[in-house]
Amino acid sequence: MKKNNKKKSQNFSPSKLLLSHLICGIGLASSFWLAINVFSINLIDYPVQTLCLLWLVQAPVVILVYSFFQKDKNQSSYLKAVARGLLGLPVGAVVNALGAIALGAPVGSRYILRTLNWSLLMSAFTFAPAASVYCSSWVDWHRIFANTKLIESVDYMICIPAYGAVIGAWFGAWPMPLDWERTWQEWPICVTYGAIIGYLVGLLASFGFVVRVSRQRVKGD
Amino acid sequence: MKCSTFTLLTALAILLQITGLSLFILGFFPIKPALSGVSGPESFRPPSCASTQDQNHTALHPHQLKSLYQKLSEIPPSYDRLILLVIDGLPAEFVLGRDGQPPSKTLKDAMPYTQSLLAGKMALGYHAKAAPPTVTLPRLKAMTSGSIGGFLDVLLNFNTQAFLEDNIIGQFFRIGWKMVMLGDETWLKLFPGLFTRHDGVSSFFVKDTVQVDHNVSRHLSYELYKDDWNLLILHYLGLDHVGHLGGRSSVMMGPKLREMDEIIKMIHLSTIQSHESDHRQTLLVVISDHGMQENGNHGGSSYEETDSLVLFIGPGISHVSPTYDTINQVDITPTLALLFGIPIPINNAGHLIADLFHPLEDHQLLRAMELNSWQLLRLLQAQATDSTCGNLEDASSSLYLDAAALHGSWKSKNVLRSASGNDLKSTVLAYTEFLATASDQLSHTATDKPIGLLVSGIMTMLLSCVMFMGLLYKMGQEVYPNKQVHKFQLSEALIGGIIVIIVLSMGSSSLVEEEQYLWHFMTSTFFLVLLHQTIKSNTGNRTSQLFSVAVILISGRILKGWHQGGVNWTHLPDISKSLEILGSPYVKLLQIISILLVITLCLCTLSSLLSRGSFVILIGLSYLCSGLLVLHYVIKYQGSESETGTGTSGNDAIVAVRLIYGLIIASVTVTVIASPWFMSFESKDLVSVIKDSLYLSGTAYVFGWCLLQLLLQQSVNSMVISLLLVQIVATIYYASRSGSDVKQWVEIAAIYYLGMAGHFSLGNTNTLATIDVAGAFIGISSHSTVLSGVIMFVITYASPMLALLSMVMSVSVKETNIILKNNEVNTGQLVKMFLGFPCLVPLGMNSVLLVAYTVILLLMRNHLFIWTVFSPKYIYVVVTTVCVLVGVLIVASTVTYVISTAVFLRKKKPSS
Repeated sequence: MKKNNKKKSQNFSPSKLLLSHLICGIGLASSFWLAINVFSINLIDYPVQTLCLLWLVQAPVVILVYSFFQKDKNQSSYLKAVARGLLGLPVGAVVNALGAIALGAPVGSRYILRTLNWSLLMSAFTFAPAASVYCSSWVDWHRIFANTKLIESVDYMICIPAYGAVIGAWFGAWPMPLDWERTWQEWPICVTYGAIIGYLVGLLASFGFVVRVSRQRVKGD
Repeated sequence: MKCSTFTLLTALAILLQITGLSLFILGFFPIKPALSGVSGPESFRPPSCASTQDQNHTALHPHQLKSLYQKLSEIPPSYDRLILLVIDGLPAEFVLGRDGQPPSKTLKDAMPYTQSLLAGKMALGYHAKAAPPTVTLPRLKAMTSGSIGGFLDVLLNFNTQAFLEDNIIGQFFRIGWKMVMLGDETWLKLFPGLFTRHDGVSSFFVKDTVQVDHNVSRHLSYELYKDDWNLLILHYLGLDHVGHLGGRSSVMMGPKLREMDEIIKMIHLSTIQSHESDHRQTLLVVISDHGMQENGNHGGSSYEETDSLVLFIGPGISHVSPTYDTINQVDITPTLALLFGIPIPINNAGHLIADLFHPLEDHQLLRAMELNSWQLLRLLQAQATDSTCGNLEDASSSLYLDAAALHGSWKSKNVLRSASGNDLKSTVLAYTEFLATASDQLSHTATDKPIGLLVSGIMTMLLSCVMFMGLLYKMGQEVYPNKQVHKFQLSEALIGGIIVIIVLSMGSSSLVEEEQYLWHFMTSTFFLVLLHQTIKSNTGNRTSQLFSVAVILISGRILKGWHQGGVNWTHLPDISKSLEILGSPYVKLLQIISILLVITLCLCTLSSLLSRGSFVILIGLSYLCSGLLVLHYVIKYQGSESETGTGTSGNDAIVAVRLIYGLIIASVTVTVIASPWFMSFESKDLVSVIKDSLYLSGTAYVFGWCLLQLLLQQSVNSMVISLLLVQIVATIYYASRSGSDVKQWVEIAAIYYLGMAGHFSLGNTNTLATIDVAGAFIGISSHSTVLSGVIMFVITYASPMLALLSMVMSVSVKETNIILKNNEVNTGQLVKMFLGFPCLVPLGMNSVLLVAYTVILLLMRNHLFIWTVFSPKYIYVVVTTVCVLVGVLIVASTVTYVISTAVFLRKKKPSS
């Protein structure tokens, strides 16, 4: 009975998911558009401001969109999911910042704001959507991020873009030690580019997975 | 496969590796193709194909030879006497400024007399670009012979040998000059028996900045008065030592510069000015062999290191202004040779400094250029691959022909007195162009490499690498039979991935320069993945495991920030720089904390074996003792030396250091030898005896090594050592707690990576400049190349060696599922179980890196940075190979000894 209920609540149509991914992608694109055309700033010359703008646009979009997909709809309201997402944003930022620093991101007063804004953006890619969907269910978190056991379409939607962003950021750090003397080699510009590219690839890939999963489900039914 | 087969194959692979490496090194770093013999009278004749070498000049008396040279050269010597004042390590920037800007006011004030000479146009100053490696011996060779030395000269720097190539000192000797040398004894080793009087000082006591120069200056007034010499060489080392101790902006730098200025003043006033009316003319040449980096080190190719000085001060110099400000260091040779009327050394690649010949008459200037051109042309002809004589296809020969034609027409016009200034100018220009081109070509000659030797070397190394990989694969199959379905683990894949990435990155010169980022990034990624894996797993003591990984990551991050390292971003702030700014009390405090941390860690690790009787307590006491002695040494002796720079705390310190050396070596040896015997008394179970003894021996190695490093490393680095120790102990602890989750080869690879990352945290880079020369003489009273070389190796390879030594400890705590049937003890099987991976993994990984890097070096042989970036890196790779071989040998012999002793004692027991 319970299982049935759960399945019902989680069975989202691919078109709905495509729409949500589109919104996420458009959110990112529009924040870039805003940065360049309205505020006339860009990532290379004004990394702090641009990163700030990026997450200020992206985080609400992601949280609002993903809160529609929250688990156990019966128990909590849409607003609560949004609140959880907002709470998850700084927590995820801390995790991302710690990870980046462990991998060698510079610390020091010059970089604090950059790291802060970058990690908030990363959190919007990775942590915030998961927080609004899974709330505080440790089992789900563990299943998704530690074991990578993806069952439902929502899992794919959250996990694959998040991994994409992290892996993209990891590869984005590669050009940093090269002596090309370009401004974009500085922390965290190329890392951000890598993360965004990884995230977008993740969005596309997860959509592919979702379509496959839903087809299997149709066959199964 | 049996243990003996494994051992044999491994030994064979190691042997192949060594053979291949030696073959490759012989092929790649050849003794540079130099013409043998010395220049004689034939150098005053145009080069011809039929080399008619008349040998009879050797039979001539020096004075006859001198007049013969004078007749042939057609240039009267401008000077009779030469004073060569070498100031070791003085950057030209200090005297001449940089980029057209004068030097800073403080520097100007430090050398008032020299500056007044320069301002009054009494001296000609140039930036003399030194070729890397910028260390003293190859630079002295370059300045006296005019040829750019081979790369391996650096390695010979600590083992000076007589200089057999043609050089100006030898040429001076041949024309009967009396020469006096005061200063760096390198000169005496290079030119044994050529000096009438000499007083050599050793360049090896780097901490001495006062006495070393006083020993030169004390003879100066006598020699200046004495007047019987033709060449006086003064080589002052103090400035270089000041740089090594405190860097460019050391507080001792100002007084040292002032001291040097006083010496220049003294020589100038007493010799040159007083003789200006006299018929004897003296030329004073102030040169530095190399510059120094901001921190005082040198050896590489940065502007700061290669920017050396040459100042010509003499009567003829007056009122000539330099037409250019940068020359090559090798240009000094032909200039001096031509000024003093001796043949230009046969292998010279420099071209004369024309400014110095302007006081001469026009035909003499052209003659000097012609002589220089002939000499360079000869060398070019000799080096041309097709030895078809005189048939140089390149542009340089046509340039020469142009110049020669112009010279010829100028000569004929000059006889008719119709030569105009323009003719002269164009001839000079043509010669200059040829000289510059030829000199450039000679300096950059890509020397032919014996391709057969290189390929066979690489093939042999490749074969050994394949053997290692095969052995590893075989070992893996035996240890992990197919009982569990092979589950994909990211951490295992990453171990291989890291090697691939490192290999790929080595092709980029900037990634070679900044290798430390790569190692840190990769190692941290690995441990982050391990953290992820720990969260995922449900077995084991997760909290303590998570904690240990966190400790590794945090210490890794601190270690990364300790030294900025590399080449491009060295100026950025890092922990070691801020500590130095904070001052020595804080450094000392950190040093004491780290010593206490190491001692505490040591006692804690030992305490787990406390139940095994008094032997363990004894060992603990001995480490406590040596630890406290190190602490005592650090508090009492270390600070004072670096502060005052005199380093004359003398014998007490040396005795203390030797006592510590002795105590550490003795306690480690005793522990390793005695532990299986004592453990056999305490326990009956063979496996636990072996494990406990290995644990004791491993602890002994690790902590003995750490205490030694705390003594030898620079004081800022002591915290690095203790953090590295923490990392390695945490890794071992993590792996021992995770059971079969972390396979043994993964653990060993992780420790190896930690060691490599730590290598750079200690401030090492891939340039030769960061080798800590000052540390290599701690506890040595007399100069011994071998001992100081060993200590230098110990200091530089502290971290990889620590990682390798910790293998003994790591195997002892690893969970092993060896089921021993009562009386069937197969020593070979045991040895293989314990020793297989700890030996094969480091050997295999190192051999992959070695082969890959050898191939890259071969591919990059025509790269612009081959001598400055890739070759020094290759030296490091080779020495790392030596380090791995030594480490594996120690681990293997210890484990074999412990196991065989334990088995032997067990077999003896029932019978007794």
